[in-house]
Amino acid sequence: MGFLAAGLGAGIIALGAGIGIGMIGKSATESIARQPEAAGDIRGAMLLTAVFIEGVALIGAIVCILLALGIGQ
Amino acid sequence: MSKLLRRVAVTVLILVAYNSVILASDATNGQESIIDVMGKVSDHDYFEVIGGTKIYLPRIFLAGGEWYFFSSTNAAVASGEFIKSDAGLLRLDGTPISFDLSITSHLIYVWLGFLLTFIITWIAANRYKRGIGRETEPRGALQNTFEVLFVFVRDDIAKEFIPHSKYEKFVPYLFTLFMAIAFMNLFGLLPWAAAATANITVTATLAGITFFVTQINGTKDHWQHVFMFPGVPAWSRFILTPVEILGLFTKPFALAIRLFANMLSGKIMIVSILGLIFIFTDMFGAYIGVGSGFFWVLLTAALYFLKALVALIQAYVFTLLSAVFIGMAAEEHHHEHDETSVAHAQDVQL
Repeated sequence: MGFLAAGLGAGIIALGAGIGIGMIGKSATESIARQPEAAGDIRGAMLLTAVFIEGVALIGAIVCILLALGIGQ
Repeated sequence: MSKLLRRVAVTVLILVAYNSVILASDATNGQESIIDVMGKVSDHDYFEVIGGTKIYLPRIFLAGGEWYFFSSTNAAVASGEFIKSDAGLLRLDGTPISFDLSITSHLIYVWLGFLLTFIITWIAANRYKRGIGRETEPRGALQNTFEVLFVFVRDDIAKEFIPHSKYEKFVPYLFTLFMAIAFMNLFGLLPWAAAATANITVTATLAGITFFVTQINGTKDHWQHVFMFPGVPAWSRFILTPVEILGLFTKPFALAIRLFANMLSGKIMIVSILGLIFIFTDMFGAYIGVGSGFFWVLLTAALYFLKALVALIQAYVFTLLSAVFIGMAAEEHHHEHDETSVAHAQDVQL
């Protein structure tokens, strides 16, 4: 049961984080194409936002690892 | 160009050779599990040098209210006072270790990381004192690299996210963080070494330091936003205040977990993919196993480059987020609420 939950959880995390980071990348490349001179600032903002999403995704991943290893049962 | 390619190929070959030596030694040592994946990333009571020689490290711990000092784990067993068990050392009467201050391999790498940072900074600082780099141009590879990195941390990280009147105070801290984490991460690329940042205690300590730096430098506005969020209906403070207090702790928590998980996954991935050679050999026979090995080794080589990239990016990200958190706390809001509400929507998500 723990393995099932961990596997499903990992998949859903990847889905969510993928959508989020994909949207950041989309808008960042669009902005850079529209305003190439602001590429540096946009890249910084893009990284910062992507890192926030990564943080949430990793917390989810840790929960999955705990489930799979059966810690806390 | 061909020279560069040849160098890359040689480096890859050396790395791959080291990895297979390690895997082979694991295969002969382990009884139940052939490849000890977690053993590659976990902390040990010995320090491994090139060639697989193990140097056993001193044990210092508190058990049953008494301090014990031994030159190694084996010395503790040989003294007759302790026995080995699955949960670590146990005293003969069954008392476990209550407080362990033993020197471990990860601790050595933490020290090495900070020592290298100190030495490089010291050498460069001496040069600047003598006027090289201030009156003339910086000289030599070391000082030039140092200046690039330092200016990067100062201008792109500190200046950008910490209010202008205060940022100078935090540059030394941020630069130390950046260099030390980068060194610790890069040690993980050496096949015999380990990334100390793949240990949650190391990253949690670093994040804890950032937490204290953030809170100590927090302005009145910072604390007001935590306990008495301005400009919202009174009843919503019952929700906002707990969320804000929780937010104080989730920020460093996410910081610690992010670095830890990234560094842990890198090595596990490499060992697991190389382990596929053995799994394929078991399942389909030696020919397919060894034949597919060619592909796995190439994949591992690619992963090594990714790991080198991730090591530097994660050092950057840790420093960047530390600067962002410090900047958020050290900020003084003269013009209220249009921007702050956006900033807070962001940090609640964290």
